[in-house]
Amino acid sequence: MNQTQLMGAAFFVTWLSASLRLAGPVLLAALGETFAEQSGVLNVGIEGTILLGALASFLASYYTGMIWIGVFAAVLVGIAASILLAWFYVTARASQVVAGLVFNVLALGIASAVYRKALGNSSAPESIAVFGTLRIPFISDLPLIGPVLFGQTILFYLTLILVVVAQLVLFRTNFGLALRASGENPAAADSAGISVSRMRYAGTLISGAGAGMAGAYLVLAQVGLFRESIVSGQGFIALGIVIFGRWNPWKAALAALVFGACDALQLSLQIFTLRVPPQLLLALPYVVAIIAVSGLFGGKTAQPAALLVPYVKD
Amino acid sequence: MAKLFERRLTPADSPLAIISRTTAAFLAAMLVAAFLFVSYGAHPLQAYFALFHEPFATLRGFGYTLARASPLALIGLGTIVTWRAGFSYLGFEGCFVLGSTSTAWLALSTASGGRIGHVPFFLFLSIAILFGFVSGGAWAGLVAVMRARFGGNEVLISLMSNYVAIFILQYTVSGPLRAPGSLPETRLLPRTTWLPFILPGTRAHAGILIALAAAGLVWTLLQKMPLGYELIVTGLNPLAARYAGIDVSRRFVLAAFLGGGLGALAGMVEVLGAQHRLMDGISGGMGFVGIIVALLARLNPLAVIPTALLYGGMSVGADAMQRRANIPSSITFILESLLVLLVLASDVLRYYEINASSLWCRSPQTVDGQASE
Repeated sequence: MNQTQLMGAAFFVTWLSASLRLAGPVLLAALGETFAEQSGVLNVGIEGTILLGALASFLASYYTGMIWIGVFAAVLVGIAASILLAWFYVTARASQVVAGLVFNVLALGIASAVYRKALGNSSAPESIAVFGTLRIPFISDLPLIGPVLFGQTILFYLTLILVVVAQLVLFRTNFGLALRASGENPAAADSAGISVSRMRYAGTLISGAGAGMAGAYLVLAQVGLFRESIVSGQGFIALGIVIFGRWNPWKAALAALVFGACDALQLSLQIFTLRVPPQLLLALPYVVAIIAVSGLFGGKTAQPAALLVPYVKD
Repeated sequence: MAKLFERRLTPADSPLAIISRTTAAFLAAMLVAAFLFVSYGAHPLQAYFALFHEPFATLRGFGYTLARASPLALIGLGTIVTWRAGFSYLGFEGCFVLGSTSTAWLALSTASGGRIGHVPFFLFLSIAILFGFVSGGAWAGLVAVMRARFGGNEVLISLMSNYVAIFILQYTVSGPLRAPGSLPETRLLPRTTWLPFILPGTRAHAGILIALAAAGLVWTLLQKMPLGYELIVTGLNPLAARYAGIDVSRRFVLAAFLGGGLGALAGMVEVLGAQHRLMDGISGGMGFVGIIVALLARLNPLAVIPTALLYGGMSVGADAMQRRANIPSSITFILESLLVLLVLASDVLRYYEINASSLWCRSPQTVDGQASE
């Protein structure tokens, strides 16, 4: 192989494996958000929930030294935060966009204050141990697909399993049917004996768990430290993925991969000397997300009909 | 057991009910904040004194309060125009950034040896206002076109357009307009382009006058002009608006243009009045705090000014607290958002009344086991 071919091969391996790695957190958040939206709640607050999950996972594994405790702490914090959000969305019938948005500001304040309280104003950020790549004997050594598909962390494989679980729960169980009915036609669901508010609480809590875990993924499998800017819109991108994935976990996984690939481009192109400003590549995933939700690709037919509409029981 | 919350037959919307609910929300926010101060080892009353004394009771501090309130008020006014028209635009962070970027570019062009050369201040200011307004207006108007033409989701598009705008800013301050030095920022803008300071000995600048004028204009538009009436009708019921012969799509685009333009003016005011240069991270979440200001003012253009002063003052006070008591200034984010969340929460009392007696006596129904559903 000559120089150019080698560079090309190296580029594809790093690009594809970075795509999968970066797709993980947004996919986790999108999976949870799919449940919330199918139940009729647009949870804009996942951006802040991811941030709180990231902080919880960082602090928990910083103090205990155990990575898995970090994951559990993040999920718990995510669920706790979404109990508050669900109360606003469902019980108080507040505007979902407003409550979610204001919650994001609250989460930013809490995360920053708690982090400073815990670790002081040290200028050098503390880093923690992260999940190593899970090496599967023989398969991981295959050329090209080995390092791409089988050189990921255990959280990645867990996320793939959760895609299947989410698909089955949403479309193959009574719970999934009741959840979707609450988002499609709450009045009909109500007269069929389904508690719409319980279903919407459940959907929001599941989205909180997914967002919390996404935060743990960011800290424990990607960065290894906590920054206030660690989420930087990935929760909003997850909202876009849910729409682009037509409220379906399996399609959301494909959509997440597209965004992961855009996100990874700027990392992998660093091996070439390009005359493109780095900001152009950094903005790419957001631009693609805007195009994905711009309405240019299909109408709103797949959207849960009662999304954003509070349900008032007569 | 009798329920703590009894459902009302009709929502309670009397002025007294609204005022008492809002007051209760404020008191609850103050209470939570007091616990926050205690957790940092500060005496809550002293902390409150520190939070409000400097920004409102000292001339120097009040100057900073006015300076901080101006961009917040302008973003709040932008929120009001777009949201009252039923367009849930959340991209003010992006408009702010674009407004400050285009203004800084314009101001540096008028520096000696710049593209344009020296121009008189009032001519410069008029061009800057026009230029900034159009840049932010077009940015937000594009989102409205996507919604009106293709049925796109304006909430998500506008949220993500913020990040694109921030990358445009980062490119500008690390590429074409970068000053020599290690930080990603521009040179100091020429002094002739600065907004005049209006209170001697303070940092209060003419931006607050621009915000006041804008508040008057927005109030006139919404209350006194047929166009404003059409915008509000569009927001209240787009279907009815269409039957009445109002072109709903056009009103969306117009509202977004005006709102985005106001958001960009906030960026202009910040650059020409307070920072006097463009740097990475100039917005610092102001685009969202401005939306919160509008929400707390219940989308009323005149109430935006005092609310912006309150929030601007709180951020000045929090900086003072960080210097003196080592309480991180990020707790302003907590205070500011908590206040709105509690006001939202207090709206529950529109639909439910608190049955206080259930707290201390059990109702007779529970004796024979009947739940009082």
